[in-house]
Amino acid sequence: MITASNILLASHGTEGALAAEDMAFKLCNKGTHLHHLIVVPSFWKGTTGDDWLNNGTTRDTFRRYLEAELGREVDEHFERVGQAAMSLEMDYTNDMVVGEPDECLLNASQQQHYDLIIVGSPRPRGKPGLRSRMITNSTTRKLTTPLLIVPYPDG
Amino acid sequence: MIYTKKSPALFIIGIIMIAIWWLADSGTMAPYIEHLAMGKKYSYLGELTTLPLYTGIFAVLIGAWQWFGSHKEGHWDFYSSTIAGGMFILFIAMLVRWFVAPEVAVISTGMGKVGETGSYIHKLLGLNYVVIGIVTGIIIVNVFKIPAWAENGVRLSRLGLKTGVILLGTLYSAAELKNLGGLSIVMIGFFVLGSVGLVLWMGARRNIPNSMGGVLSAGMGVCGVSATVAAAPVVQAKSVEIAYTIGTILIWGVGCMFVFPIIGNLLGMSYVQFGAWAGTGILNSAQVAGAALAYQPDGIETLKVAEIFNITRVLVLPIIVLWLALWYVRREENVTHTVNVGTVIFEKFPVFVLGFILMFALSTTGVFAPANHYKGKYFGNTAESGFKQEKLLKADQIALLQGESSKVQREDRKTALQRLIENGKIMSIDDDATIRGLINAKVMSKDANNILKDAHKAVRHTAKKIKKFRQWITWLFAFGLVGLGMQITVGSMRQAGGQPAVIGGVVGFVKAALSLIVVMILVHETI
Repeated sequence: MITASNILLASHGTEGALAAEDMAFKLCNKGTHLHHLIVVPSFWKGTTGDDWLNNGTTRDTFRRYLEAELGREVDEHFERVGQAAMSLEMDYTNDMVVGEPDECLLNASQQQHYDLIIVGSPRPRGKPGLRSRMITNSTTRKLTTPLLIVPYPDG
Repeated sequence: MIYTKKSPALFIIGIIMIAIWWLADSGTMAPYIEHLAMGKKYSYLGELTTLPLYTGIFAVLIGAWQWFGSHKEGHWDFYSSTIAGGMFILFIAMLVRWFVAPEVAVISTGMGKVGETGSYIHKLLGLNYVVIGIVTGIIIVNVFKIPAWAENGVRLSRLGLKTGVILLGTLYSAAELKNLGGLSIVMIGFFVLGSVGLVLWMGARRNIPNSMGGVLSAGMGVCGVSATVAAAPVVQAKSVEIAYTIGTILIWGVGCMFVFPIIGNLLGMSYVQFGAWAGTGILNSAQVAGAALAYQPDGIETLKVAEIFNITRVLVLPIIVLWLALWYVRREENVTHTVNVGTVIFEKFPVFVLGFILMFALSTTGVFAPANHYKGKYFGNTAESGFKQEKLLKADQIALLQGESSKVQREDRKTALQRLIENGKIMSIDDDATIRGLINAKVMSKDANNILKDAHKAVRHTAKKIKKFRQWITWLFAFGLVGLGMQITVGSMRQAGGQPAVIGGVVGFVKAALSLIVVMILVHETI
């Protein structure tokens, strides 16, 4: 069984990401550092799209609501993974960044040394979720840390 | 934070604009303009020899200051940071309107007409400066990304469109507004309520959450992304539901903007019919304006009809948001907040519509055009009112009309024609209306009809201010739509999926098809 003392886990609560979380916990020992990365994809910046009829107040209300909603979802994921990590006596840290998921993963992997990066598999067709890929050819070519892509739960 | 970027971009844009003006004004560009005109008169020469000079000088001056000057935090910094982006949009709109779209027309004409349609590809697909401008905006944001120095200014596109709608208020007559308003209230009322109801019904059958049903019904029913933005917070939509809905609406909207003009051309729809159909059937309000200008790029009759429908939609929006808020609170047991009716209505009310109404009210006082104007035009058969003596009918023209006068049966037409023959010009506004009826009836030969048309044009003048307004409106919409194109990301469109894609697809198609049938049956060629 592989073990690692410093793991970067990219997870944002989808089924594939939950499988990645489970795998991370299996590979961790007591005292292992688990850094949890959540990327809020940059397409959210363009969510108001070509709206032009609304006034500034309505658009601001929407932006604040969306930020709060995304923030709440991120907090829930941090809380869930953090509690599980604490119960396994792991050293848990987290970070939320906004950007292109593949670029953010690459940046995070370069900011400190990790033994292993763990991510979930891309969502199979027909499964609900956002279209935003973290694992691209470009990322895998540039990554210098071993990458573990955990199979989709029922895939 | 300092928003103004120290970049040479705006300065360079200004230099290029001035270079374009010089090339056009000095005649250096004449062979290219002749090529674009394809043997006809190049429509934009007036603009090309004036506009880039003024905007170019402005861009050079502000650009030099932004590039070399020092900037401090504050309101002025924020406002000045929008200038570069605004000029960037304007520059793209200029290039597309003056060069790219005419070049597309040259290439398309060279390829010949398409089969039995009798139309060139660019006419059939509505590939004019509006559509190409929006597509250019979409390409810029998705392929090249909006440069940092232009990011703030891209938002000005909304201001451009709203100002365009406000100015549009000057071009409606009271009768026109009454008839169009009545038609739009009936059609929008039926199709908004119908599609909101259909989404909620389908949502319940497919067991989607209330929040998803709520946000999707607003988007599909009222005015696309704008309604989604307004409704999402009140129905507490989840992030993924918002992404699904906006993705679905954007794909539908962009698709409709291309498909609607093609269908309109194939069915030979009138401007009024097409405006009414686009205003009802296209989900997204931005694409309604885009499709209307795509259908009629060098006139604004279609846009006028479509925008009345857009305004009706946006006036309905606060009511629908309120309804959905009440509907959601009643259905969700864990919702603790109450709905403040006044706040919802007040916050969602589109203030720019008041500007439209004000401009319309001002225009009815005759401040922009003579009091008896209709659609910005007025009657005048004296030299003081703009009639040119050389427009008097010639002897051979009078002889032709005299020779064919026996074909006219109706008494009022006979009398009006006789007065025209006797005086060599149309003598009253009533005669003008009667002669137009005679032209439309096609009772006389083509040559005779052409003489009648010239006689009509000789006494029907467009008020100078109204002409300017038309020009401004065209530019404001072109500017706004190119800028809005720069805010349509493929990343957002790719999120279309899940139940919203299925329900949205069904409701969007039903709405488009049914509104087409209703328009073809009920809406006449003129209002």
